[in-house]
Amino acid sequence: MGVMEIDTAKNLQRKQSLYQNLDEKYGIHKEQYRGQQYSHMYFTRLHHMRNLLYSLVKKWKPHLPVCKVLGLEEGKECIIVGTLYKHMKLKPTILDEYSKERSAVPLVKSHNFMHPEDYLVLEDESGRVKLGGTLLEPSLFVTGLVVALHGKETTTGQFLVQDIHEAGLPSQIELPLDSREDKYVIFVSGLSVGSTTSNPLQLQLLVDHITGHLGDEKEQSIASLIVRVVIAGNSVEIPQGLLNGQILVSKDQSRLSEPIKELDILLTQLAVAVPLDIMPGPNDPANFSLPQQPLHRCLFPGASAYNTFMSCTNPHSFEVDDIRFLGTSGQNIDDIAKYSEAKSNLDFMERTLRWRHIAPTAPNTLGCYPFTDRDPFFIENCPHIYFVGNQRKYETCLFRGLEGQLVRLIAIPKFCETGVAIALNMRNLECHALSFSTKLDS
Amino acid sequence: MLLKLHKSSNSNFEKKERSREAAMASGGIKGFYRQRKSGVSKSPSKLKSKPKSSTNKSSKAAASFGSNTVQPSALISHGSLDLQGDYDESEELLKQFDMNIAYGPCIGMSRLDRWDRANNLGLDPPKEVVDLLRGGKVGLECLWDGSV
Repeated sequence: MGVMEIDTAKNLQRKQSLYQNLDEKYGIHKEQYRGQQYSHMYFTRLHHMRNLLYSLVKKWKPHLPVCKVLGLEEGKECIIVGTLYKHMKLKPTILDEYSKERSAVPLVKSHNFMHPEDYLVLEDESGRVKLGGTLLEPSLFVTGLVVALHGKETTTGQFLVQDIHEAGLPSQIELPLDSREDKYVIFVSGLSVGSTTSNPLQLQLLVDHITGHLGDEKEQSIASLIVRVVIAGNSVEIPQGLLNGQILVSKDQSRLSEPIKELDILLTQLAVAVPLDIMPGPNDPANFSLPQQPLHRCLFPGASAYNTFMSCTNPHSFEVDDIRFLGTSGQNIDDIAKYSEAKSNLDFMERTLRWRHIAPTAPNTLGCYPFTDRDPFFIENCPHIYFVGNQRKYETCLFRGLEGQLVRLIAIPKFCETGVAIALNMRNLECHALSFSTKLDS
Repeated sequence: MLLKLHKSSNSNFEKKERSREAAMASGGIKGFYRQRKSGVSKSPSKLKSKPKSSTNKSSKAAASFGSNTVQPSALISHGSLDLQGDYDESEELLKQFDMNIAYGPCIGMSRLDRWDRANNLGLDPPKEVVDLLRGGKVGLECLWDGSV
């Protein structure tokens, strides 16, 4: 047996990419809360989308007049533009807790609040009108989106809807696809470090694969094509049982911070090797309401020392090599799924793009900051990649808009449950799943 | 419209007569209450009003409308009543700005912020408002500030 030779094979260089963070509009550090309520947000949302829809409606049905709700005349066909409100019988309201008659039915069911008797109402700056007719199926809509409706007022005072026009996808900057080289972005979410379902070995496998510590030269050269890693929320699970109002003893204090320390170790290993974006999720130590602010640097003393470590907001918007990405950690789609129905979560994602608003149910049922002068969830430019984290399973499709926009929709599954991360090839917008398993018997 | 606005007149006697007529025309509350004392007008705001004002000027005096409490004679011993209270012309302009729904809700925002928002949204709010607000001698918060 000869002396072991050190492999003097060539050093593999990781590919580089240009990154631009576009999260400025999701920051709330400049906002000053003055006791305002949510009416301002609905006002700015309606204002922006109304102007947009007025211009679209001119091309859609130029022969019809546009009126306000208060200016509706019976039998006169016209177009109205306003915010949709869905009246839901089963939607939990705080007043139910004070109701004298409590039935045996539990007050809140967590999965879905739809009911056949739900109806839609359109509200604009002058008034509201109940929507009738069979064109609009209430189960496909949620409160908070702005649409243009063609129809007429009936004798009962309802507005009979004959046609609907949504805002549609915004314009997109065209990409010269297939003329670039292979570069991958890895998406992962729901690491849930510290939870009972997370497997540290699986996490380590993921980190080792991305950093190129795994496999032979061929494997490592594949890993060297990874230019960015995006962690879309729920990276940590803090033991909630400790937070019951009692004073924490030092033993409990260290138990509380263990998951974050473990995550920091993993993130440091990643940040050393590859640029990294981490977004907060519903279970992470960040604020509750959208837009969630970046996880604080002091949580990651190891990783934040590197300039490759980027703590981002949720929703997160960025550009890599001129390809625009937009995504959330899942709260927007999960909330829409509670109040409407679709065959798959990708349908919900498509709808939010067509409504040009990533979180229409905010602030109605989705917690959100009461902005006064802007609505940051309005989509100004069409992204090329639209991702949502913490979903039940991996799903993806290519969505084409009416003006030739092309969007790759990605539903990222929870890593702690599935062991799946997603790799997206920026050359042709194709993605595939990276599956990590530590079971030796399968 | 129960409230009838009369032009101010010099004659005290005429004032009383008109106020009684207006009170009788104003509805059935008279039936519930005893006859009022003479020399007391039911609603001072009806007697004196600016001819040019088209808006509901009696917001300050509205608390006394319809009430039957005896007004101490010291309040109306002189000829003119201070109906304007805190509101002068510039405040009136700012109130109109607050109430205008085209610029969105006014509660929870300072007037200057609301003007900036209206300006940024392209709604073309009147320049006089921002000049007044930056001048500093007027109320910077909206009409309902502290009341809601």
